[in-house]
Amino acid sequence: MHKLKTEVLVIGGGATGTGVAWDAALRGFKVILVERRDLTHGTSGRYHGLLHSGGRYAVKDPHGAAECIAENKILRVTHAHCIEDTSGFFVVLPEDEGDFPDKFKAGCDAVGIPCTEIPVAEALRREPLLNPRISRVFEVPDGSSDSFLAAHATAQAARNAGAQILTYHEVTNLIMTGGDDNRRVAGAMVHNVVTGEEMEIHADITINAAGAWTGKLAAMAGIQITIMPSKGTMVAMNHRLVNTVVNRCKMPSDGDIIVPSHTVCVIGTTSINVPEPEPLRIEPWEVNKMLEEGDKMVPGFAQARVLRAWAGVRPLFQDTYTSGKGRDVTRKLALLDHQEREGVSGFLTITGGKWTTFRLMAEATVDDICRHLGTERPCTTATTPVPGAEQGNYWLGHRLHDIEEQHLQGQLVCECELVTRTMVENAARRNPLLTLDDLRRDVRLGKGPCQGGFCTYRAVGILHEMKNAGSWEVDMSDEAGSTAKWEVAYLQSPGHNLVSDADSHESSAEPANSADAFNPNLLLRDFLQERWKGVTPILWGRQLKQERLDELIYMSLMNVDHLPDKQLASPVTDFYHFDTTPTAEEVADV
Amino acid sequence: MSDLLIIGAGLSGLMAAYTAVKAGLRVNVVSKGLGSMHWSAGTVDLLGYSPAQPQTAVKRPLEQIPALIEANPHHPYALLSNEHLAQTLATFVALSKDLGVPYGGAANPGDNLLLPSPAGAARPTYLAPKGQLAGDLSRSEPMLIVGFTGMRDFYPELIAENLTKLGYPARAAFLPLKLITQRHDSNTVQLAQGLDNKEQRALLGAALRKLVRPGERIGLPAILGMDAHMTLLAELERETNSLVFEIPTLPPSVPGVRLFKSLRRYLQEQGVRLTAGIEVITANLTAPNGVPGAVQWVESATSARPLKLRADKYLLATGGILGGGFNSDMHGRVWETIFNLPLTMPQDRANWFEPGFLATQGHPVFNGGVTVNQHFQPVTENGQLLYGNLWAAGNLLAQSDAILERSTEGTAIATGVAAAQALSS
Repeated sequence: MHKLKTEVLVIGGGATGTGVAWDAALRGFKVILVERRDLTHGTSGRYHGLLHSGGRYAVKDPHGAAECIAENKILRVTHAHCIEDTSGFFVVLPEDEGDFPDKFKAGCDAVGIPCTEIPVAEALRREPLLNPRISRVFEVPDGSSDSFLAAHATAQAARNAGAQILTYHEVTNLIMTGGDDNRRVAGAMVHNVVTGEEMEIHADITINAAGAWTGKLAAMAGIQITIMPSKGTMVAMNHRLVNTVVNRCKMPSDGDIIVPSHTVCVIGTTSINVPEPEPLRIEPWEVNKMLEEGDKMVPGFAQARVLRAWAGVRPLFQDTYTSGKGRDVTRKLALLDHQEREGVSGFLTITGGKWTTFRLMAEATVDDICRHLGTERPCTTATTPVPGAEQGNYWLGHRLHDIEEQHLQGQLVCECELVTRTMVENAARRNPLLTLDDLRRDVRLGKGPCQGGFCTYRAVGILHEMKNAGSWEVDMSDEAGSTAKWEVAYLQSPGHNLVSDADSHESSAEPANSADAFNPNLLLRDFLQERWKGVTPILWGRQLKQERLDELIYMSLMNVDHLPDKQLASPVTDFYHFDTTPTAEEVADV
Repeated sequence: MSDLLIIGAGLSGLMAAYTAVKAGLRVNVVSKGLGSMHWSAGTVDLLGYSPAQPQTAVKRPLEQIPALIEANPHHPYALLSNEHLAQTLATFVALSKDLGVPYGGAANPGDNLLLPSPAGAARPTYLAPKGQLAGDLSRSEPMLIVGFTGMRDFYPELIAENLTKLGYPARAAFLPLKLITQRHDSNTVQLAQGLDNKEQRALLGAALRKLVRPGERIGLPAILGMDAHMTLLAELERETNSLVFEIPTLPPSVPGVRLFKSLRRYLQEQGVRLTAGIEVITANLTAPNGVPGAVQWVESATSARPLKLRADKYLLATGGILGGGFNSDMHGRVWETIFNLPLTMPQDRANWFEPGFLATQGHPVFNGGVTVNQHFQPVTENGQLLYGNLWAAGNLLAQSDAILERSTEGTAIATGVAAAQALSS
């Protein structure tokens, strides 16, 4: 069995886990991060992409609001390229009038959130589709964030500082030592999902950053943590109906935020307690609710074309949780020292919080790591930009600008999201990639109106050509990703792809032994099913027509339902294959 | 004022126009866009997979259709006798020769062709343009699949690997894309137009000659010329001393565009008026109680005021959900957009889909459509005629999922021709 030894083992490859790995590596610790799927497979990759100003928590949770505004300012520097500076409005609808707006303004002022009341006419000029019946508008420094890119950039910063990031490595058990009164977590048993290889990772301290899976992981150490998985459903609209984040100025509730995100806008969310973090079904009433609420802020919203729906799970933590509703549970970070709580040493859990505060969560965690390992090392993440930040904020026209300036039109693989062939090649070469869904998280492939109709085939064809040329071997050892020349900017910017990259073609000697996962026919089928999963809840009108075109392409033209290798199944794509279509009871509920 | 107004410029609408104009009618065709041929592979799929055996390609479709009808008596093919169906296909083949885009079938008459798909699967189809025929997988010559480096819509290695896995020997090779275009960005239609150029054609022929081994046939993306297609095909075969065939690509489909353009030109020469950019949005109907009503006129969307279009007879050939003939909403309603004809699909979103995208039984929402009587006239649920001067044809007809069955063009040709015959008599 393969054995590794490290000082810090981080379990979980979301915003929090990558943040902890980055911070710990910067402070000179030897770090290994393991993630059971791809980076941001969990909640970090399934949220609406709001960079909070803190306004949302200004009345209910001033402490959380203060954390947000502080981190908002930091991330705008350290992760500049992962953020679009959209600004944010809190709008007062006729039904929201009352004393809340004044409380909101006072709350923002109290914790230092820059908040300016602007004339309604100015707000309508900047956002012409907003409901003209709004009575007041407050502007705050909300933003739109690309959490996929941010996790990659943070992970790369961690690698550059010496950390090792192992995706598709699932923890099967924790290594426990000591007797009943001095139990200790000494690392983890890890299963390589791709090769089937088992691995022992010994660590001085193990960090549970498993998000929605936090409770399951802690249970492996015999520790009970009550994590309340709270499902939030989001709906992406085919158009960017607003260019500014729009919030309702009232106590937080369902469907009261619209976030412009790249070429679309996202409305969220619901908040429903669920027993398990996966699989998550989206019920028709949730979609209905999002559209109805969106219509209040932007009249006509419900009639616009809907692109897709998905759900994430907030890993809410409340020690004394009994029967609270998801939104009433605190969104503050929770750092659990299991030595103090349960007498189990070598093990910390970091949970709760939200994307905007991931860096702060990491800082608190690594401070505690220092204490446990008996050393004092200051945190530097607040002043250390991650790779790519030098590009500055991204903006809506970012990719189009690069493509027009450098005449890359002929390279486009995904016309919806302006993904070029070289972006696909770079992502595949530098980033462990097992499914096209990974590529979607890397470069936004297949996220546009046709939902993979054209790019699925093209991406499979390109990966297949790379594989034949020996320029794509999935290397789970993280050596592929650790090369110093890898620029995260490749993922975001077509223009970066012109950088000469001649010696990047060397392939690893040992191809992964589970060839099934790299079979082009399997990649094709799995991604079609993955996209189907997210459109079935919203499939009507124009999107239904689009789906029928995708059927024409993949059945009538390509005949992919009669390709060879039908018997193959991938170990990493089970979660696409559950029934996402609405049931009669659910439809009747609406 | 025309005798017949056809709404829709897909294959069913245009085959109906052809039939009606030959019968002496004055025909007017209006369409929202350019019709559905631009999406298709350019082949005539008659019946590729029957619902009873979704995994096995149908070998002899005309012989299989009676069993299909027995299992599903309301299938669109049940509106025609088997002989009549065969006649409509023969009509199409004869017409295709006049159009200059000749279609043919398998070497063994009555068999389905098996043609390489752009993913390397074997597509069962009944008729194909001459340029695709040499790809028939019942032939024994090994294949050389040639792509162009960096061309985003064609992956020869994937095609060759899958064909080989399926037992059809094939290898892949690349030519530089620069050989056939100097543009920064070209879609397949632009590449095909580029190859209408004589010098460009000669360069391609010379390059292919160096690649091909004796005894091989050459498969290329379907970009071998637009107007000069037949000439280029002959030149390449002469130059390489090999059979040459096209493999259809992602939309826009060059073989589909060639068929559409030649058919449109031919119909115009016959005096048919074809106008694109006219979306018919509503109809003025009389609907007396108990007896069939009548279409007075239909209206199209324009920027100023609604445009009224009148004819003695109306043929609806707007396609289904994909063609735009039907719309749907979040409440599970599906409706026919012009006449609000009754549709057979479930008016309940919970019953629209199967869990798997590639479900072998298809998604119920795509199986529904307009019910017609044996004269191709839309009827109510009880079989009662709705409007005395309205006919319907093509993929809007109920009780078949043509994409699943691979019967799209067969349905379009058979019902388009037969409906026009019915309304002309």
